[in-house]
Amino acid sequence: MHRIHLGEFEELVLLLVAVLHGNAYGVSVMEEIEQQTGRSVNISAVHAAMRRLEEKGYLRSEWSEATTQRGGRRKRLFDITQAGRAALEQSRDTYLKLWDQIPGFAPKTNMA
Amino acid sequence: MSAAKPPRPPRWADRFLEWYCQPELLEEIQGDAYELFDVRCEGKGPKAARRAFVWDVLRSFRLSTIRKITIQFSPDMYKSNFKIAWRNMAKHKMYSSIKIGGFAIGIAACLLIALFILDELSYDRHYPETGRIYRVIGEMTEGEFAGKGVDFPAPFAKALKDEFPEFEKVARINPNSLFTGGGNPIRRAESNQNTYEEGFTFADQELLDILQIPMVYGDPKHALDEPNTIVITKRKADKYFPNENPVGKTIIANNNTDKPVKIGGVIADFPPNSHLQYDFLITMKGVEFFPGEGNNWEASNYHTYVLLRPGTDLAKLEQKLMPIIVDKYLGANLSKAEVEQVKRTGRIYLQAVPDIHLHSADIHDGMSHGDIRFVWLFGAIAAFILLIAVINFINLSTARSANRAKEVGLRKTVGSTRGYLIAQFLSESLLFSAFSFLLGLLLAWVLLPYFIQLSGKSLQLPWFSWWFLPSIAASTILVGLLAGIYPAFYLSSFKPIQVLKGKLSKGSKNSGLRSALVVFQFTTSIVLIIGTLVVTRQMNFILNKKLGFEKDQVLLLQGTQTLGDKLPTLKKQLQQLPAVDAVTVSDYLPINGAKRNGTEMWDAKKEQQGNSFASQIWQIDYDYLHTMGMKIVAGRDFTEGMRSDSQGVIINQALAKKLNFTQPLGERITNGYQKLTIIGVVEDFHFESMRENIEGICLVLGNSPNMVAVKLHSDNLQKAVQDISATWKSIAPSQPIRYTFLDDSFAQMYNDVKRIGRICTNFALLAIIVACLGLFALSTYLAEQRSKEIGIRKVLGASVGSILGMLLQNFLKLVLIALVIAAPLAWYLMQEWLKDFAYRYQIRWDVFVLAGVAVSLLAVLTIGFQALRSALSNPLDALRSE
Repeated sequence: MHRIHLGEFEELVLLLVAVLHGNAYGVSVMEEIEQQTGRSVNISAVHAAMRRLEEKGYLRSEWSEATTQRGGRRKRLFDITQAGRAALEQSRDTYLKLWDQIPGFAPKTNMA
Repeated sequence: MSAAKPPRPPRWADRFLEWYCQPELLEEIQGDAYELFDVRCEGKGPKAARRAFVWDVLRSFRLSTIRKITIQFSPDMYKSNFKIAWRNMAKHKMYSSIKIGGFAIGIAACLLIALFILDELSYDRHYPETGRIYRVIGEMTEGEFAGKGVDFPAPFAKALKDEFPEFEKVARINPNSLFTGGGNPIRRAESNQNTYEEGFTFADQELLDILQIPMVYGDPKHALDEPNTIVITKRKADKYFPNENPVGKTIIANNNTDKPVKIGGVIADFPPNSHLQYDFLITMKGVEFFPGEGNNWEASNYHTYVLLRPGTDLAKLEQKLMPIIVDKYLGANLSKAEVEQVKRTGRIYLQAVPDIHLHSADIHDGMSHGDIRFVWLFGAIAAFILLIAVINFINLSTARSANRAKEVGLRKTVGSTRGYLIAQFLSESLLFSAFSFLLGLLLAWVLLPYFIQLSGKSLQLPWFSWWFLPSIAASTILVGLLAGIYPAFYLSSFKPIQVLKGKLSKGSKNSGLRSALVVFQFTTSIVLIIGTLVVTRQMNFILNKKLGFEKDQVLLLQGTQTLGDKLPTLKKQLQQLPAVDAVTVSDYLPINGAKRNGTEMWDAKKEQQGNSFASQIWQIDYDYLHTMGMKIVAGRDFTEGMRSDSQGVIINQALAKKLNFTQPLGERITNGYQKLTIIGVVEDFHFESMRENIEGICLVLGNSPNMVAVKLHSDNLQKAVQDISATWKSIAPSQPIRYTFLDDSFAQMYNDVKRIGRICTNFALLAIIVACLGLFALSTYLAEQRSKEIGIRKVLGASVGSILGMLLQNFLKLVLIALVIAAPLAWYLMQEWLKDFAYRYQIRWDVFVLAGVAVSLLAVLTIGFQALRSALSNPLDALRSE
């Protein structure tokens, strides 16, 4: 079985969904990206990334209750799945392993 | 008031989003966009928020978000679609056959014209180095010698080669009949029976190098290297040297036994789509047509072709040509003022070889070419005929909408979507299109021989070319969709409730568009008819115009120079025949293609001032004017026995006018060598095509023995020809007689006009047939629709005449509107065409009346039958069903 590739932007979105923990939807993720990384992205890019992640099985989504906000439209709230978590961990491990091999660089914090 | 309302995102963007977005994604995307909008409104103000909203919507337009176009590719559905289409077609045989028949005619016409156009465009593209081969053109923009020409002096080619490294090769040809180019009697050296052949030209070896025509026999590099060699084409080699290699054998041209020519090679025939059509290329090596010609810059007789080196900057090169040639060569013979003038108003440029066939209308090269304008014209005609056929299709489909409306209503009620209905109607039109193309192909194939005759081209349907069948298939689909798209959308738009309730008035809806389309059809047809009429009238105008000479009953004997000393005997004997009026020996005849000799001349008193004028100098004998029926308007004809007449000249009125002598008789003009005294003025006669004005002409006594013109006065032409043949036979037993009639040769000058006339006539006919077919079906249908109305009218006492009038007037109104639009359009177009002719038919109102009456009559006949049938029908039949 081939491994499902995780793109850089996808990884970022996946991380932020995990960070937002239960309150992750298009707008909140987009704003979080801007605040945490200073990157300005279009909402459509976030949507597309989350759609792809859901297709890959890293995210799942459910509808929120309707409110008077947003013209009465519901939010699609995303949450990270077990597979998503595993993918993130694997990615992190790979990076750490590689960082360890660079002479003269030490990780700032020990996350293990 | 408005301040209380919260700002809203732009409505159109919102709707656009709703339109394209997949429904299951819409809520999320739209909701987020709204939320962002609200946030931005507070932060940056409504204006910026709106802009950002639009941007979000546009950015969200992605392959992953847009609605999937739901086409179900189920073969069953298509099978059912086509089955229903087929049933519909079979049920309404008359409409179907008119739709298909009209279409097929349009397609056949398009196909044939496309073949014609493709052939026109294919000229001179077959040489290996086509892209680098050019013909040299000289142009003067003002003055006596204004115009474009291809004739250059003999040393010009060498000068080009020496001065400009850009030319890889330069070749000359000289097909001028002054120097025995054109037609000559030839024979194999060992035979003594001459055969007359045409297609002679003198040519340099470099011509073979440039064109790289495949060689059947001989060495292409050296075939014309030596003096007195000739290259002949394969077909002539097969004729004179069947089954042998003719290289090294000799032939004798013009009975010139002193100078037999040796065959240096055999080339493949020039293909029909080549502007060069020669069979005999005689080498120019060692040939001078007069002493010192090789360095003479005053006589221009050579067409010059060049091969450019790869990567040459054409524009830069053309700029250099004229100045350098004038400075280094041409200037020596000119005054300073003339040098200035030539530099200012003259230029030399290069014409790409593939352009020669279609873009030489204004270049004097003595060849007959195609014309790019006719390519456009015929293309437009084909497109219009097809359009007329497509319109028939649209009109009949929408007119019959009432019948289909119930079907549409029912289908929609049981759950058909609009998309499905569109697919259904498009399949129907594709089926029609497929049948029409099949029939059209068949029709084109059947009509091809006739069209070949009409166009004077050898064409064939390229069945086996890789692109032919695919492009036919593509056209089938394209035309099918084009014709079907409007009816499909129109028919599928019916609302089931209204239709089933019977609200949709039968077929009358949309009659506005239908009328417009009918008007368009008839406008096109009328323009074509008027065009045809004008072309025909111009033709008659030319053929019947007073020419200034008598072209009837003049027999031309050709190739008489071979008789040598016996020519005077022939003349004398012919004069004694009872059927013969007069006989003259002269090559210079007032028809295109006869010998010409244009020269620069001066008023003898003003020669030093350099005011030259262009004129023809024709050598004639004492009987010329009499035989040709030309009139002396001042002075006298040449008189036998007057020795001074050898220095005399008869000029035409055009020249007299140009010279501006108050009393031309006795004045003297000169060509630089010889001073001539004007002894008479002849009435202007047309000696070139009527496209051109009559130019100046000088008639002098001289010997030009190639042709003998015989004026007959007998009613029994056959007997006269027999007598003349017998006389010929007794004088020249070894040479077959060749003769034509002057009026035939004259009519041949206008073959192209005739051809256009015939093509226009035919296609105008086709256009009107297709248009009338459509009108017939339309009127039949509408009469059917109104049968109840007619029945009621009759019951209430309407007369047959009034009903007939009512049915006719609707359509006649349309035809009249078409006439009003078409008349000025056609007038303008034909005026443009007539500009080609210096002598032209004045378009009169009766052309328009004739076209109008013809079309109205046709329309009445087309509609009338149906109208009469409805008007005469028993009202009971129409009314009893309700």
